[in-house]
Amino acid sequence: MATEGEAQQSRLGFTLGADQVSFDLEESVYPLEAVYGAAYLFLDRCFVYLTRPSADSVGVRLTAQEAGSEDLEKLAGEFANELLSQTLRLKLAQSTARIREYYTAAALRAATSAPSVDELLAELESEELLEDPLEIMVPWEEKHASDQTDGEGTESDPKAKDG
Amino acid sequence: MAERIVFDPSLYLSEAVDAAAEAYSEHAQINVTAADGSIAAEIAETGEHDEKVIAHAFSNHVLFETIARKQQAALDEGA
Repeated sequence: MATEGEAQQSRLGFTLGADQVSFDLEESVYPLEAVYGAAYLFLDRCFVYLTRPSADSVGVRLTAQEAGSEDLEKLAGEFANELLSQTLRLKLAQSTARIREYYTAAALRAATSAPSVDELLAELESEELLEDPLEIMVPWEEKHASDQTDGEGTESDPKAKDG
Repeated sequence: MAERIVFDPSLYLSEAVDAAAEAYSEHAQINVTAADGSIAAEIAETGEHDEKVIAHAFSNHVLFETIARKQQAALDEGA
């Protein structure tokens, strides 16, 4: 597919043709994954064609789907912005990959070593829950039954006071 | 006159070109050849459709197939 018409340099440094715009990218600056990511988002807006002008660069050519339907310089500018966004996202993903792997592994480890319901019940049964040194489980009446019989009618007995 | 598109193998997967050629077989006759380290597709007999438009759309489809396959391969590798 040969480039049609006379090409001219745009304000932003893109090469503008009659219905297409092209530019080269340094792969050391914009990884190929980022170029793919940006290209994927533009597939429904224009025709995207990639070339290899040299070993370490990628050529991008964007062609309007219908002649005159797109502001080509704006289209290429938006592509370049998206390319930067994709590059940043990729670099962030790479720089945080180890910590994400660590947390995922820790979560999986915790999930596999979590005790089963039977194990939890067995643990509960084995604990001496019925020990009650502070007599918290003893009802008030039962706890103070001896006080009531010993000091009936005294001021310290609230029931005697009411009666 | 047939439209010829050359796909660089470092950017496009050959199986993506084959898949796109099969997907477009209803709209055009597409001959895929691999030679001199590149993959070429010749597009002819596009019927009532414009050959250039079919060629551009075909090239978009090859790129889509390439990206989708590379993403799937990356996912399979990570799994």
